[in-house]
Amino acid sequence: MEIFIQVIASGLTLGAMYAVSTIGLALVYSALNMLNMSQGALLAFGGYVCFYAMETLGLPAPVAMLAAMVVGGGLGLAIYLLVARPMLGSPMFETQIFIATIGIGSVLQSVVLQLFGPQPKAQPLNVPGGVSLGGVVVPWQSLLILTIALAMLAGVAWLLGRTRAGLAIRATAQNRDAAQLMGIRIGQVYAQVLMLSGALAALSGIMVSSLSGLLPTMGADPMLKAFVICVVAGLGNVPGAAIAALLLGLLEAIIQYLFGVQYAFAILLGLVIGVLIWRPYGLFGKRQVVRL
Amino acid sequence: MSLLEIEGLEAGYGAQAVLHGLNLTIGEGSFAALVGPNGHGKSTTLRAISGLLRARAGSIRFAGARIDRLRPDQIVAEGIIHVPQGDMLFPELTVIENLRLGAYLPKAAAEARTRLDEVFSLLPKLRERQDQVASTLSGGERRMVGIGRGLMAGGRLLMLDEPSLGLAPIVIDQIYEVVRHLAVSGRTILVVEENAMRIAELADRMHLMDNGRIAWDGLGSEFLSRPEIRAAYLGG
Repeated sequence: MEIFIQVIASGLTLGAMYAVSTIGLALVYSALNMLNMSQGALLAFGGYVCFYAMETLGLPAPVAMLAAMVVGGGLGLAIYLLVARPMLGSPMFETQIFIATIGIGSVLQSVVLQLFGPQPKAQPLNVPGGVSLGGVVVPWQSLLILTIALAMLAGVAWLLGRTRAGLAIRATAQNRDAAQLMGIRIGQVYAQVLMLSGALAALSGIMVSSLSGLLPTMGADPMLKAFVICVVAGLGNVPGAAIAALLLGLLEAIIQYLFGVQYAFAILLGLVIGVLIWRPYGLFGKRQVVRL
Repeated sequence: MSLLEIEGLEAGYGAQAVLHGLNLTIGEGSFAALVGPNGHGKSTTLRAISGLLRARAGSIRFAGARIDRLRPDQIVAEGIIHVPQGDMLFPELTVIENLRLGAYLPKAAAEARTRLDEVFSLLPKLRERQDQVASTLSGGERRMVGIGRGLMAGGRLLMLDEPSLGLAPIVIDQIYEVVRHLAVSGRTILVVEENAMRIAELADRMHLMDNGRIAWDGLGSEFLSRPEIRAAYLGG
């Protein structure tokens, strides 16, 4: 029973953390058909901004988190304005933006390396202690991550489902031309989506680094997992991505417990291959129907 | 008074030019039809008017002001409503969400409630289907959502691209019933239609397209009474 609680708690924490960065990735793909390969660097950047704000500037944790999200959102906006927008009309957009964002990612990572050096650092945002649940001590840190992540997911769900801006995002993702004919300014939608995704990446970076520390390359692994989750859920499916993230987090925790940490990613990828053979469009993806 | 004036319009896709100096004038309150064989630029004309396609040369004036450099969303705000070919609904949204998006801009949103009642009384089927996801509708129902969504926007010029395309004959009759209703409502309408004979019975003015230009225009009644025009452009 104790072990069960421990595995569930760590799985949910992992999953919630994955979900925050994955929905950003899924949103951007659904709205622009853009695979943002700089997501990992945005994660690291967010983690370091929070570190800098707390360590060097001495700001309180909530302000530091907010600052990191604002910087992340700003970077997302800059990526849209300077890189994605000039390429949008091109028939090769998907390939071009894929390669361009790999470049942006390595530039951002180099900036982090220049500013903070290659040595690992501890994220100062850390809540000590834990709470006893059925004889198991669950760290406050995990609960905090879970709470913030779930609040963020609920916020994004509310934004997409209940607001005018969210309706415009969903409409743009489903049919760009039709969205414009409704009077939606799709350039604005793209900018909003990239800002939101940048802010979510920063938050996710803070969460990841609060558990495993800061490194300039820290975003690579979560980004890879976010891609895996996106593909499993069906590319561009936002609610599906959140559910798949939680499932994969739980699965990872269970595999880690049963077989050991070193096997977790390999087994996870094996399962993903299985899922994709069984359902090539992803768990929640829909088959593209060609209509004449 | 003319509401829409197009002069020397050229537009196309990539290296392929489709419109070669098109001139077209639509009078306020008139029901105009753009007819002619497939691939001669009827839909391209509508896409250029609504800004989905950039004009390469020429001018488009709406209510006296140039609109050919505006973005599509600005053109909608000016009052040009384009119901595109093949419906282009938002497949994962419900019928009611699709309709609400028609009234997305603030001006239309303010009148959305009364408009929705009008749309439901014109297209009663949509009231029954309002909570259904668009992708699960039949072809005829989808077409009705497309038209209803356009009507939600209000606007000063309604452009319908092939409202009867690909539907069963009985459904075409239903759609034409709606078009007939719109025709007598006094609003300004531009319909693109393959079936020239049928639309000529409703239209005030017929514009025949040939290879990216208007080859003939005249009254609907004139079109019907002059077999040589039918023969020349529509193969009888």
